[in-house]
Amino acid sequence: MCLFLAALGCDADSDSAADSAAPAVALLTSGPVSDAGWHAGAYEGLQLIGDSLGFRTSHQQTRTPAEFDEAFLAYAQSGYGLIFGHGFEYQDAASRAAELHPEVTFVVSSGSRSGPNLVPIVFGLHEASYLAGMAAGAITRSGTVGMVGGVEIPSARGTFIAFAAGVRATRPDAAVLETFIGSWDDVSAAKEAAAAQLRQGADALIHNVDAASFGFFQAVREARARGGEAWAFGMNRDQNDVAPDVIVGSAVINIPGIFLETARDWRAGTLGGPMLTGLAGGSVDFVPNPARSGVIPAASLVRIDEARAAIVEGRLEVPRIDFLEPAAGDPPSS
Amino acid sequence: MIEIAALSSFLLSAVGLAVPIALAALGEMVSERAGVINIGLEGSVIWGALGGALGALAAGPWAGLGTGALCGGATALLFALFAVRLDTDQIITGTAITLGSLGFTGVVFQGRFGATGLALELPTVPVWEIPLLAGLPVLGPALFEQAATAWVALLLAPALGWFLFRTRWGLALRAAGESTVAARAAGERVVRIRILAAVFGGCLAGLAGAHLSLVHTGTFAEGMSAGKGFIAIAVVVLGRWRPWGVLAAALFFGCAEALQFALQAVDADLPYPLFLALPYVLSLAALAGWFGRSRAPAALGGASGG
Repeated sequence: MCLFLAALGCDADSDSAADSAAPAVALLTSGPVSDAGWHAGAYEGLQLIGDSLGFRTSHQQTRTPAEFDEAFLAYAQSGYGLIFGHGFEYQDAASRAAELHPEVTFVVSSGSRSGPNLVPIVFGLHEASYLAGMAAGAITRSGTVGMVGGVEIPSARGTFIAFAAGVRATRPDAAVLETFIGSWDDVSAAKEAAAAQLRQGADALIHNVDAASFGFFQAVREARARGGEAWAFGMNRDQNDVAPDVIVGSAVINIPGIFLETARDWRAGTLGGPMLTGLAGGSVDFVPNPARSGVIPAASLVRIDEARAAIVEGRLEVPRIDFLEPAAGDPPSS
Repeated sequence: MIEIAALSSFLLSAVGLAVPIALAALGEMVSERAGVINIGLEGSVIWGALGGALGALAAGPWAGLGTGALCGGATALLFALFAVRLDTDQIITGTAITLGSLGFTGVVFQGRFGATGLALELPTVPVWEIPLLAGLPVLGPALFEQAATAWVALLLAPALGWFLFRTRWGLALRAAGESTVAARAAGERVVRIRILAAVFGGCLAGLAGAHLSLVHTGTFAEGMSAGKGFIAIAVVVLGRWRPWGVLAAALFFGCAEALQFALQAVDADLPYPLFLALPYVLSLAALAGWFGRSRAPAALGGASGG
């Protein structure tokens, strides 16, 4: 199966320019990297590692938990020293593979478990999501905002809880709708879920899905075409150019930058324990869409800047779901 | 008044969600009546969505519906050449077709539009608003504010009913699905019938995919078929291999999906996976015979003996 998918070009593309003695890094995603969002950011990160550090790179799309295990082991056995599993869903498979292959480092995006060769990245996207919520609270006229999510996993829940808190920070009486569609790339389900929220009066909507976001943006676009005054927010990657006519801003993770830093630390032998990123390190941020400047009032942008500073300085604590488990057994190696 | 508006828009989205399932399921019903269970239907749907998107970009949305149907049909032809002509196992062949299609469509999409993707804005097939009737309260928009694909699904049910149960060709097709030995003894060419039935089913599944990209969402994403081909196979069972039954079952699935979004949006504090699972539970109940006796075509999934 693994070979079959790889042969079909589920993207086992390796960089032939790099010499074979170079360190090798692999990436597993559970969805297509053509989502212009979460998975696309990881793929850009992989390419950045290849371009900047000269590593050999390879990517595979794996759908099911059985494929997760198989792909981790296949990469570990073929000499890949650093393997990224891009998403919470990879945690269990990565933990198993890390025990079998102590010589390989496994990195899990939004992971929860640390080990000698097991590194979770905690993005702190909730902080950016909180700022996006503040913007949503400022631009909503109806007082109703909406959130459309994929599957209810801790990292997705966390961004929504923070977003809702941000909304209420600027608009305490706001109603916040939440819908999970049970899939990350069901475009028509995301569109219908957003449409249902728009019909309930929501006029500022954020998503946390992958490729399905295309349908989410389309629902907002159609609501606007019918004369409604609704806006969308992008998530995970700077999506401002994905649907520039409807997106007022994005809660962004600089996934490529974080991946590159992880790979650098790994090469230097200093990678260990969870990679904690957030607004403070500049790895996540809320980025207003320059093509839609003026939609978010200037006074609100000032308040958002103040909140950003307060979060960075530790004066403002954004509500979060702490899904990081206490490290068990050995302390992480340096 | 607000409740009526809400009900009306709920029905509109229920019918919209039901159309692709109905198209694919009616096609699969014909295929299964001829004895071919095409698990590769999902592959036809995703090829239809991509083929429709590329066709629409090249020559407009109507041409896109055509290329979508052709791509779906071609996928089913590949399936039928193996599963019918060469008598490979239908389930395994169909699974391979589905997995291969999900991968290959991704390769084509990324090759054409870049690895990290973009949100295509496709020209969409216009909605036909039937004058006067579309203004009816509650049911008006749901029934009379739909695109051509919805009318295709609606008209196919009586047309297929007539074809399957009132024509000689329909009899031959059903014979191929009940007993290949008897059909062959009666002089029917079982292999040819089965291939044609599977390709017809694939064309409709392709049209369902083109509906997803060109009517419903106006965009394409990898994997956007999102299991609709498999749902269609369940719908055939729930509809007990009869055209009106299949159409009603597809509508029921559409309602269940729309209801799930409507309830989550009004903050009904219910676990969402429950709603996602509901239609499948009812399909199982249908298989268990809770809604009257249902019987699959006797030679379904069996060898064609080409």
